[in-house]
Amino acid sequence: MIPFQFITAFLMMAIGIYAFLYKRNLIKLILALNIIDSGIHLLLVSLGYRMELNEPPTAPIYTGYETLKSAMVGPLPQALVLTSIVIGVCVLALAMALTINAYRHYGTLDVRALRRLRG
Amino acid sequence: MNGEAILPYLIIIPLFGAFAMPIVSLAGKKAREAWAVIISALTLVVASAVFYHVWKTKEIIVYTLGAKTPFGQGVGFPIRIVWEVDLFGAIMVLTVAFVSLMAVLYSLGYMKHDTGLEKYYTLILILELGMLGIAITGDLFNFYVFLEIMSIASYALVAFRNDTWEGIEAGVKYMFVGSIAGSFILLGIALLYGQYGTLTMGYIAVKIAENPTVTAKVALALFIAGLLFKSGASPVHMWLADAHPAAPSSISAMLSGLVIKVGGIYAMARILFSIYSPMAHSIVLKAYLQPYINMSAIGWLIIIFASLTLIIGNAMAVIQTDMKRLLAYSSVGQIGYILLGLGIGLAAYGTQTGEVALAGAIYHTVNHAIMKALLFLVAGVVIHEVGTRNLNELSGLAKTMPKTTFAFLIGAAAIVGLPPLNGFASKWLIYESSAVFNPVLGAIAIIGTAFCTAAYVRVLYTFFGRPSERVANARDPETSMMLPMLLLVLAIVIMGLLPWQISDKVMIPTARMLEQFKFEYINALMSLAGGA
Amino acid sequence: MSDDMGVIVKTMARATIPLIGIFGAYVVSHGHLTPGGGFQGGATIAGAGVLFLIAFGLSEMKKRYDKHLYSALEGVGGLVFLGAAMLGLGTAFFYNTLWHNGPVFNGDPGTLLSAGYLPIMNLAVGLKVFTGLVSAMVGIALYRRWKS
Repeated sequence: MIPFQFITAFLMMAIGIYAFLYKRNLIKLILALNIIDSGIHLLLVSLGYRMELNEPPTAPIYTGYETLKSAMVGPLPQALVLTSIVIGVCVLALAMALTINAYRHYGTLDVRALRRLRG
Repeated sequence: MNGEAILPYLIIIPLFGAFAMPIVSLAGKKAREAWAVIISALTLVVASAVFYHVWKTKEIIVYTLGAKTPFGQGVGFPIRIVWEVDLFGAIMVLTVAFVSLMAVLYSLGYMKHDTGLEKYYTLILILELGMLGIAITGDLFNFYVFLEIMSIASYALVAFRNDTWEGIEAGVKYMFVGSIAGSFILLGIALLYGQYGTLTMGYIAVKIAENPTVTAKVALALFIAGLLFKSGASPVHMWLADAHPAAPSSISAMLSGLVIKVGGIYAMARILFSIYSPMAHSIVLKAYLQPYINMSAIGWLIIIFASLTLIIGNAMAVIQTDMKRLLAYSSVGQIGYILLGLGIGLAAYGTQTGEVALAGAIYHTVNHAIMKALLFLVAGVVIHEVGTRNLNELSGLAKTMPKTTFAFLIGAAAIVGLPPLNGFASKWLIYESSAVFNPVLGAIAIIGTAFCTAAYVRVLYTFFGRPSERVANARDPETSMMLPMLLLVLAIVIMGLLPWQISDKVMIPTARMLEQFKFEYINALMSLAGGA
Repeated sequence: MSDDMGVIVKTMARATIPLIGIFGAYVVSHGHLTPGGGFQGGATIAGAGVLFLIAFGLSEMKKRYDKHLYSALEGVGGLVFLGAAMLGLGTAFFYNTLWHNGPVFNGDPGTLLSAGYLPIMNLAVGLKVFTGLVSAMVGIALYRRWKS
């Protein structure tokens, strides 16, 4: 059986791709990119979740791990997601700056207006 | 010199240069420019040393970050980030460092009148850093991080002149396409990690060969889709034709010469040949009737995209009136040739034809980086002196800018593939192997070259035509802009004089090393096991 | 028209900005012990900067914000990070020589002075993220002035 968090992750990606294809506002497109990325992050971070001894896992903090009864979630996917979030923040900031500039030049946020380059 | 000891400096030097740039630029404009030149020159020195080491020893450098071996204590699989440099990676490192130095030198004169230059030079160094990182990495997530570093720097550089609508529009388009492509690649990496539990490329190759699941195939499809986006292959080449003309010309030279190669072609070759090792899948597993991934079908898929790209890119170049747009479409067409070589190398894996095609693809990658950098630099000089890119207004430049026109003539002749220049040898390898593999593909390649010739002859015809009023006051640019062009011309001519020597001594060994008939890429990593 | 947000918000902001800053500094300096680290703490401190920008307005922010200082500090953060990574270059890039060989940073796990170069890197990244995010925020806020 597929765990429900995987279904949620792929659903989020599908929503993001739908928005990316059918929305025309630049800000909404940026949000769509972020939703796709969040879906992938959810997928990655849920890969580290593992049940052992029928106990839900705890956060991967190494202070006092001798007394833990359950397993820890995998720390590597969390590090990956964190890196990926930082990259996402960079893209987001750059996208916002470009959007503001585009509004300054075109007076609108509609991507259909951004079609002066042709040929 | 020891290859392992100098490898980290390839990353350290540009990173140090980029971080120190805001502090150095407090000391003034001259210090900033000198700093950028020094840093990229040092990077070129290190890159040459790495290339020479790998070429001399023909061994793959494996460098572990943070410890002596990539293997943890008591576990039999690599847990640390590794960098693996084989000969293809070393060639890309050398090309990247060389063309970046040329672009930085050229920027000294070309960007003189712009503002915010400390950000410009920081971004250029970060762009170089990202490409070097992609070329040397042996870890999938590390590869993704470097790919995004490169992409973000190039989005920002395309939109660097934010007072023009052109740069902004191109930047927005480039950013959306690039981010979607990056998401595809990240999803592929996530799927591979979820299935196999590791991120080291050499070890994933082992795991996939042991158990080729549907997940691995889906991940491969995602990688190919994302990297075709990034390399500007045909159905999705529109962003390239917008972004490359809109950037400042020194950046166009880096984007067209390097970014689509390293971030597209090199990454695809690395994933296809090192992770989805065709030796394991097409030959070994097939022979033992085990489940395998059909890599020659993947090769045909790439060949189909390559043929499309080749025809459309070169044909669109013919009808352009904007000089830089013409060059950008020509880049799309040349990417088609490289993809064709790569696809044949995969579809005809294990035969002489496949090896020649792969060598041709690698050779053409290097050649095209140099040629297209030269052509974009010439276009930048024309814009700088005349102030327009419209080919209809540029007639008669040969009278007033003889040196520039000469440089353009060399570049155009090389890209068309005239014999004494470097483009001939690489294109010949691709024609030869495609004609042997399938005559239809050979015919397609020749048709593409016909279009390409038509496009460049048209530009040259304009340059040598009757002088118009617009170009009457133009003259050859200052030394700092002339020098990189001369060096690139020199590189083209020298490589053109020794075509078969380079092909035999460098490119064929590179192709062999990439094909890894003896699993060299995997063995170089796994042989370190037990040393902890 | 002034661009600040009135006396209630300003008073609340005066009270909370130091707290946010202290919490961010805690997250940065305990990055190697608890969840969080340089990026998260730096982003938290930058949150204080954003609150200042919103509550007191751009004109007040411009008086306190020095572009050259912030970009130089950002460079310093990056350089310190790179330097910490290069300390163990004799063995490998990013080799944690402070943790393996001392002098100070090799205490018991769970104490503040443990984990080798990680606290130094967290501080450097925190500085870089804080200055970078504040610079980006101010840059974006400055953009919208093109009409007035």
